[in-house]
Amino acid sequence: MLSSVSRKLILIAAMAVVFGLFAASLIDLASLYNDATKDYFFEHGFEETGSNNLVTGILLDYRLFDSLFEAGILLVAVSGVIWVSKHDFADKNPNFMIDKYKTPDLFISFARLVYPLLLAFGLYIILNGHLSPGGGFQGGALAATAILILYFIDKNKETDIKRIVTIEKVLYLAIILVALLSLFTRSTAFTNFVAPAAGRQWQVVYLVTLNVLIGLKVAFGLWTIFTAFLKEGR
Amino acid sequence: MDPLLTFIVILVGFYGLATSNNIIKSVFCITIIESGIILLFLNLGNFEGGTIPIIGEDVVAIVDPLPQALMITTIVIGSTVTALALMLCIKLFHHYGSIEWSKIFGKGDAS
Amino acid sequence: MADLTLLEITAYALQILLIFIAIAIVLHKNNRTIIILIASFSLVVSALYVINNAPDVAIAEVAIGAAIIPLIYVISISRQREFIVLDRAMDDFIISDEEFTGYGYRLLKQFTDHYHLDLNICNDPMICQMEGPDQNVCERTNVDLIVSKDEKTGTYYLKGKESSLLMHKLEEMAADYSDIEVQTFKDVEFGE
Repeated sequence: MLSSVSRKLILIAAMAVVFGLFAASLIDLASLYNDATKDYFFEHGFEETGSNNLVTGILLDYRLFDSLFEAGILLVAVSGVIWVSKHDFADKNPNFMIDKYKTPDLFISFARLVYPLLLAFGLYIILNGHLSPGGGFQGGALAATAILILYFIDKNKETDIKRIVTIEKVLYLAIILVALLSLFTRSTAFTNFVAPAAGRQWQVVYLVTLNVLIGLKVAFGLWTIFTAFLKEGR
Repeated sequence: MDPLLTFIVILVGFYGLATSNNIIKSVFCITIIESGIILLFLNLGNFEGGTIPIIGEDVVAIVDPLPQALMITTIVIGSTVTALALMLCIKLFHHYGSIEWSKIFGKGDAS
Repeated sequence: MADLTLLEITAYALQILLIFIAIAIVLHKNNRTIIILIASFSLVVSALYVINNAPDVAIAEVAIGAAIIPLIYVISISRQREFIVLDRAMDDFIISDEEFTGYGYRLLKQFTDHYHLDLNICNDPMICQMEGPDQNVCERTNVDLIVSKDEKTGTYYLKGKESSLLMHKLEEMAADYSDIEVQTFKDVEFGE
């Protein structure tokens, strides 16, 4: 059995070898990556998706199939957190651990000020996802942070976690249905159901709808996660 | 921006993952590795003189939007996976009364 | 080297700062200090995303790393530092005259100090009078140890999980007292 110091030295040596291989691969980067996709998105991206923000365009149009499964992984992770924490959520949670640590009054008054602003900012990020940086995933995370502030204001807030998870599942189904609508209108699945010829103002309807649905789903998923954690701890 | 400097961050994360005894420390190291990988991907699409990938009036050269679109979902999914790992840590502590790899694997020599 | 712009100098400085924060996280022993470090790591990394012309990713990182990730770390770290005892004996074994002066409390305090844990005693009447055997109560309320009393013989029972590594030490320490008996019950398997 090697001593711990010599094991660490072997580990550092192995890492140095990996680092050398990485540095060698940087010389030949051009064979791994080129600018073809970037040029294509720059020339055709705006006309085909109707979105100024090309990142949102890729997430909701070109690579919608990927985004659907990323949202699915979120649902699976939330289910895993609930399954592992194994609390009977129907029970009233004993709050014997909360009482020991009081939230300061200054913090509570400041949280009351910040909560509506943060929620409005999250909604703005979601709704303006096709024009400015943002979109469903980021806005949903911001809205979830705003909901988290509510728990600091009111410690005894009760949350029906089963209802939130049900809403999240329904929202995921709605996202898949909106994504499949293009099968009937344009006979290709997982793209914008409005053809580019119809004009940009109609393409935006699809983008905003899907952004709002994804944003709500992410917000409800993160809400479930930190409710499970708050029930676990103080 | 130098990809080599970012790669050092990833290696520091791997070193912590291999040597740390505390399970929560291991989850921290996974977070570090994840951030480093995101930085590498973004650095791949970035170039000097490029602007953010939003089509506007006089935009002539944008950076590659594809790595950014992939990385946004990585951040959100990564946070939920971290939450799942930490919930498993809490359950391990309830079960074994300890949160260190050496004690949980070698259950006999608890001191 | 001479014609570095201000943005490039900032980028290099932030990257070197990032390496130092990562090394500090890996080498630091105290987990509570690491939470502050991980929050600052997230802040520096989102600044680097903005420098890389990716404001979308930076917004996502700030939204996730500002509140939700530190919260779940704080909760899981504070849970691994405390030992919750449910007092169902309802007499002066642990609490007498509203103060922790019983000899049972001294035993438990000695035990938790040995492992550097915080002792957290719960005697909320709503939970203590929960019906059913001790094992079911332990599963539902997630406590680590239950203190109960046999009314006929006057023996105090300390009941914990069989799988826990801490219970052997508690058995050793309780051997000096004649009226304290440590019992273990089999916990449900992980994930059932």
